[in-house]
Amino acid sequence: MTRTLSIVLLVLSMSLHAQNNAVAAGEKLTYTASYNMSGILTELAQVTMETSTVKTSKATLLRLKCTASTYSKWDNFFKIVDLYESYVNPNNLIPYLYKRDINEGGYYKFMKYTYDHKTNTIKSLQRKKNNKEENKSFTIHSGTKDIVSTLYNIRLFDYKSMSIGSKKSFTIVFDREEVNAQITYLGKETIGTNIGKKECYKLAISSSDDVLQGKNNNLLWLTADENKIIVYGKFKIPVGTGELKLKSAEGLKN
Amino acid sequence: MKRLFTILGMIAAILAVILSVLPLSNLAIFPAVAALLFVLIAFYLSKKSGQIKKIIQFTFLLAIISLAITTYKALFNTSKVTNNQELKEKEASSKKEAIKELEDLDLDDISIE
Repeated sequence: MTRTLSIVLLVLSMSLHAQNNAVAAGEKLTYTASYNMSGILTELAQVTMETSTVKTSKATLLRLKCTASTYSKWDNFFKIVDLYESYVNPNNLIPYLYKRDINEGGYYKFMKYTYDHKTNTIKSLQRKKNNKEENKSFTIHSGTKDIVSTLYNIRLFDYKSMSIGSKKSFTIVFDREEVNAQITYLGKETIGTNIGKKECYKLAISSSDDVLQGKNNNLLWLTADENKIIVYGKFKIPVGTGELKLKSAEGLKN
Repeated sequence: MKRLFTILGMIAAILAVILSVLPLSNLAIFPAVAALLFVLIAFYLSKKSGQIKKIIQFTFLLAIISLAITTYKALFNTSKVTNNQELKEKEASSKKEAIKELEDLDLDDISIE
């Protein structure tokens, strides 16, 4: 009985912390984020997803960095300078430190999570425009990750073995609250991208809150190779619809 | 009727010109096309009565100008991020702070090379 339980736990932990065969340091993905205005897609911002190594005296971690900057033509109207970072274990992308520093049209917010995986707790620090700091510790479920490491962890799933319609659930911590999310594998599709025609895994994303609206309105296309990079995304959020298109990809692992 | 279409055409044409010079230039297509339609109806009605006013020609010119600006911007203007100094500074300082914070974390039990 104990042996069976150990095997089950081992398999479960392996599925929760899959080995990283897709993401390496030095990868840089650049996207164009567009917003649908009265039926016309307007390019709003440039989004980059970059990885690099970070060395401390004890370990070498992987820094996952996501930035968003509005295109210069919008700067006089609404300027966005967002920085999201997650410092993770390079072997399985488990996060240890998460930072979010956003400045969106004058709205400023800083959020930091320090993970303690032994006790499943997060020590958070929030700072707003008036420099008012707020410290808060809270417990999380095992396997809960921040939004940045989740975006990279999606690339570790084994889609080859998934059948059409099968689902994967995960928990994201955002604004110090846990959100349940689910991806549904919709099959393979070949689409034209800026890096050529690519066979992709088509996924539908849904969440327990109302941020992502509709059942199959939020879609992601990941290349059906070992890198599984996001090449295209379609989103429906409360303020409208938009899309994310890959502009360039550098330093891919495979 | 002729006056109504002339006024509608003029309003739509002015709106199209304003939108075409803003970053939202793609949206100028809608009022520009509406202005062209209104001005053509006004032109047709004026022709019937035998008196074509200068304002109809002027409105037509405005609609064409807005369409030309919109088309030019859509074809030749590429979106760029030029002023990202703020972001670069933010990234560098955040990385420095993060390394300090990671030093304080208990990473001994984690097998990271």
